[in-house]
Amino acid sequence: MSTPPGEVFHIDVIDVGCARSSPDKTLLESLESASIDIHFHCREGFCGACRTQLLEGEVDYTTDPLAYIDDDEILPCCCVAKSNIKIKVPL
Amino acid sequence: MKYTTFNQKSVNPLAEPMFFGNPVNVARYDQQKHDIFEKLIEKQISFFWRPEEVDVSRDRVDFQKLTEPEKHIFISNLKYQTLLDSVQGRSPNIAMLPIVSLPELETWIETWSFFETIHSRSYTHILRNLFSDPSAVFDDIVANEEIKRRATDISRYYDDLIFATQLWQTQGEGVHTVNGETHEITMRELKKKLYLCMNSVNALEAIRFYVSFACTFAFAERKLMEGNSKIIRLIARDENLHLTSTQHILNIWAKGKDDPEMAEIAQECKEEATAIFLTAVEQEKEWAEYLFQHGSMIGLNKDILCQYVEYIAVQRMGAIGLEAPYSVKSNPLPWMNNYLNSDNVQVAPQESEISSYLVGQIDSSVSGDDFADMEL
Repeated sequence: MSTPPGEVFHIDVIDVGCARSSPDKTLLESLESASIDIHFHCREGFCGACRTQLLEGEVDYTTDPLAYIDDDEILPCCCVAKSNIKIKVPL
Repeated sequence: MKYTTFNQKSVNPLAEPMFFGNPVNVARYDQQKHDIFEKLIEKQISFFWRPEEVDVSRDRVDFQKLTEPEKHIFISNLKYQTLLDSVQGRSPNIAMLPIVSLPELETWIETWSFFETIHSRSYTHILRNLFSDPSAVFDDIVANEEIKRRATDISRYYDDLIFATQLWQTQGEGVHTVNGETHEITMRELKKKLYLCMNSVNALEAIRFYVSFACTFAFAERKLMEGNSKIIRLIARDENLHLTSTQHILNIWAKGKDDPEMAEIAQECKEEATAIFLTAVEQEKEWAEYLFQHGSMIGLNKDILCQYVEYIAVQRMGAIGLEAPYSVKSNPLPWMNNYLNSDNVQVAPQESEISSYLVGQIDSSVSGDDFADMEL
């Protein structure tokens, strides 16, 4: 099931704050526009610097992630929210 | 087990472990046990670059303007990087190819090492531009005590694994005496040496390059030595990919997704693996001290550099399930990210937007619509 274009989701960042997803932005960019700074390097899914825990919800990858991630982790630099999500970033 | 360049026994590569199974026979990539290595090969090849594409001629003028302490920092870093890539350009091949058992991993190792040789060539490109005869710089790499100390630690785990593998492949398991020294060769010991070696390589790619990278990019922040910085950006992008590969190998083992014995060894050697990482961190901090012994440079000093090393150590150790005894939470050198972001890596103008522009550009399907607006 594909998400209708233009849909905006709620991003809950545990202990940090909230952001709105934007369909034309990666999750990392959405977080940055809400002034939530998380660690990043390559922004292309191969370095793993932005590794983040996904607690609730689903994401869609825009680029195949190459960096190692655990089953409950995502790479915000190359994915978009597919539903409302709850994430935990390293503090 | 004797190594053979073409194993005539029929083996199923999908059932082989990453290392210490049967030697690879057919180099086939239509199927993969661990498809990540195939993806890494494709990504790495899409990153292909040549040092000569980067114009470093302005750096010569900039270099003359640097203060003596800054020249020391710049040249020492190049020496250290030359050492690191001299090791990395050959060692994964020599240590790992004789024992690898998956075609996609074998080719990844070769691709990885090949890119390290591009890095080595680029240091010559940079130094030849700065000095009419760069021999003094190269010669010092094997004379300089600070560099030699690091070389010992970097090559030790490789050398250990290579020697044990040679004994195993020529004489098999058992106790062997070579030049009066006895060596006990068992499969378990070999695997343990491989595990420690992989951890040492992982620490090298994760930590050891970053003090020098930070110095290079600190010069670039002041609009100095920008040709050099462009080259180091390309190198940093490659090293990031290499780091990803060693993290994958270590995690595949630890999660029991490959050789079950390697999962046991990962558990058993956790402390040793942590110690390898922490030693690399300490040596990098000592390197920062050596670099700044004659004075620091604008925008960077020893303390902030040491904090940066701890900061990335927390991330990198976390990625392989190790706990780091450091508490640096925020990035002490935020501008580093601008240089490590792969979109800012520019080679040719056509690559400035998307680095993977070469992929999928030739389309073999032609439909009738493609000729719609064509008139004869």
